[in-house]
Amino acid sequence: MRTLISIRLRNAAVLLVLATMLCFTLVVSAPGNVAVLIAELRSPKATFEQIRAVEEELGLNDPLVVRYGNWLGSALKGDLGVSYKTGESIGPALAGRLHVTGILVAGGAIFAMILSFTLGFIGALMPGSIGDATTRIIALLGASMPSFFVGALLIYGLAVELRLLPTFGSAGLSSWIMPWMTIGLLPAAVLSRVVRVGLEEAMARPFALTASAKGLSRGRIIFRHALPNIAPTYINALGAQGGAMVVGAVVVEPLFALKGVADLFLQGVLFRDFMVVQACLLVFLTSFIILNLLVDIGMMFSDPKLRRQGANA
Amino acid sequence: MQTNRRTLLKGMAGMTAILATNPIIALAQEGAGGVLRVAAAKPAGDLNPHAFKGLWAVQDLIFEPLLRYEHGGRFSPALATEWQVEDGGRLLRFKLRQNVKFHDGAPWNAEAMIWNLDRWIGKDSTAWMNASRLFAGHKVIDDYTVEITFKEPVLGLLNEFSYVRPSRFLSPKSVDAAGNYQKPIGTGAWMEEQATNDGSEFERFDDYWGDKPGYKHLELMVLPDSRGRMAAIRAGDIDLTGGEFLAPIKATEAVTLQAAGVPVVVEQGTSTIVAGLNPDRNPALKDLKVRQAINIGFDRNAISQVLYKGLAQPAANIFPETVHLSGKRFPVPARDPEAARKLLDEAGWVGDGVREKDGQTLSIEIVVSEEQIAGSRSLAEVMQAQLGEIGIDVKIRSVDHASRHSDIPARHFDIALFTTFGAPYEPFGTIIGLLLSTYDNGVDGKLVIDPEHLDPLVNAAASASEDTVEQATQAIHDYLHDQVSCLPLFYVPSIWAHTNRVSGFKAPSTEYDLPYKGLALNF
Repeated sequence: MRTLISIRLRNAAVLLVLATMLCFTLVVSAPGNVAVLIAELRSPKATFEQIRAVEEELGLNDPLVVRYGNWLGSALKGDLGVSYKTGESIGPALAGRLHVTGILVAGGAIFAMILSFTLGFIGALMPGSIGDATTRIIALLGASMPSFFVGALLIYGLAVELRLLPTFGSAGLSSWIMPWMTIGLLPAAVLSRVVRVGLEEAMARPFALTASAKGLSRGRIIFRHALPNIAPTYINALGAQGGAMVVGAVVVEPLFALKGVADLFLQGVLFRDFMVVQACLLVFLTSFIILNLLVDIGMMFSDPKLRRQGANA
Repeated sequence: MQTNRRTLLKGMAGMTAILATNPIIALAQEGAGGVLRVAAAKPAGDLNPHAFKGLWAVQDLIFEPLLRYEHGGRFSPALATEWQVEDGGRLLRFKLRQNVKFHDGAPWNAEAMIWNLDRWIGKDSTAWMNASRLFAGHKVIDDYTVEITFKEPVLGLLNEFSYVRPSRFLSPKSVDAAGNYQKPIGTGAWMEEQATNDGSEFERFDDYWGDKPGYKHLELMVLPDSRGRMAAIRAGDIDLTGGEFLAPIKATEAVTLQAAGVPVVVEQGTSTIVAGLNPDRNPALKDLKVRQAINIGFDRNAISQVLYKGLAQPAANIFPETVHLSGKRFPVPARDPEAARKLLDEAGWVGDGVREKDGQTLSIEIVVSEEQIAGSRSLAEVMQAQLGEIGIDVKIRSVDHASRHSDIPARHFDIALFTTFGAPYEPFGTIIGLLLSTYDNGVDGKLVIDPEHLDPLVNAAASASEDTVEQATQAIHDYLHDQVSCLPLFYVPSIWAHTNRVSGFKAPSTEYDLPYKGLALNF
């Protein structure tokens, strides 16, 4: 298994370099000149000479390959550069925000897991019932509504009308409930169908019939025997949804005034501060890759066939 | 213990109950108390009053000017109690307020004033200010009297000493040994306690020389999403929001808040959205009849009603009445498609559908930037539809803020939207900056370029005496109106909203100030 993990890590490193190269090219090719905005910060009526001077100072006239090489070299040494806008080091700025995005995504994932299992089990335990139909409707709604709309609805209902929760912020558990629900609803909808369909398929297999013939209750068969069978599929889907939640943070963080990495990323995009954008993308890409790696390892542990393949690799 | 679905469901129900009751407990423990909570779209940033990075409104809390710009272009004493302009505008004498302290206890006097002036006046980075570009020297007469001399009479001299930056005053002790700015320490009513990405906290300066706020703390809460700000004020999580540069409220949001019972204050602002025309790029616009046809080819009132919910007043002048020397009022052009078609026929642009002349189609490109003016894309689409009805093909190009700042000075547009600077920069900020072709206006570009006809009028106004300046500026207004050199569209309203917890709110005299004065917190 160690060999398999080391192969995965090597592939991840290559993927990371290629992805950052692509991102760098896209970011610096975007329209708009950051030198104009920086010159404006230094003098409100920046002249063209001042703008040219900023371009030279920042090396914006260097060839793309040179700029990427400089960035990669510094990044490998742990230096993610300096924000063009604030002049602050990006590394500490990112470090101070990682936990916010981490709490958002992790909490959203836990919410998605709880809700998906709840809906999935209700459907599987009572197939064809009103409860099953209700879970399908909830899943359909959750999968159809974009997160900014879900967030707006939650804010209106729970904060503005009922005054149960604060509308924004990250102080205290109460502040996190709506962001978690907003970011977790779509993954919960998708995962609930994975649970529901997976359990239905597992329950139709001969081992479930045998267990039933031996007198085990439907619930016991589901928890004890069917559930482990859907674990690999669920973990795989959870990994994909985890990636989607990292991206979803770009919508959820500004809506709830959470100052995480996605908020920094948006600020960077608006200001064409591509050093900040690039650093944030690096965080996003790394989290994707780590997530995929964890999914691979998780699947190996949960699926005996994969575990054996891993052991033989 | 054996797990069954009942146990699982009981456990989940228990967790839900804990999560649901927690916020109630948390909210009960909180409570705004004597804190005014103000929304901001972004963090306060670097508050150095001699740099150009932080939020104006926050700098206004901490740092004070020598004199304040008030409604209607009047000035009121602040750190100076008296001022005299002498020697034909080449000498400015200030009598400073006594018994004023900075937040760190340092005294406010002539020495502190000169220390501050030397950090910006006469420097290249502030050459856009007349007082800095024409600065000749300063002289301390006594501890509380300072004279500043200039090479030439300075246009808008008093206005420039009321700006939020760089004309405000920092404690001489708030820098390191090398003179580098360290902390925001001024003489204002509020002292910064802490600042993070989530917001800033301020404590009332109890040794403040003026009227002290009736509440002890002020919190600036960073809410980047306008939907979040609207929800927060409706829920009572913030007390005050608004201001063009602090936390803008869109017209649709203002109407929604009003309908929800949130007090909304809408006042005539001091800036105008104006469409600039570029005949040098599109020769069709050289013809006065074409410009006149465009001017009456779209409906300002309808756009105001639909896009701005009637909160933005349609404009015919480049300044609203709230600006000093804004000139006599012209009638707002009414949409008249028949008259517009006739003008185009007379100009030789004929044909069904898109009009043509000498094998060329009458096609115009409008450049808009949502980052510069929210709703500008929709505004351009209305113009596109209505001008299309009179045979003008309008193409819309949406650009980001940075691209706009490259394209507009480079004159890569046929029509582009400009916003006049607003108080306290008016009227000469716009007149010189946007209308005088020889003045380098940097990335803001020019609204009208006409060295032959307009520049002499601008120069005449700039050098006019107090007795003749009104007549001289009116000549500019008349020229712009008669020649349809640009198309004033709307006067930008100043929009603020506050909760019922706040009373005594008055809209600020400029969009750069934070209107905390006179506010009271009811509970």
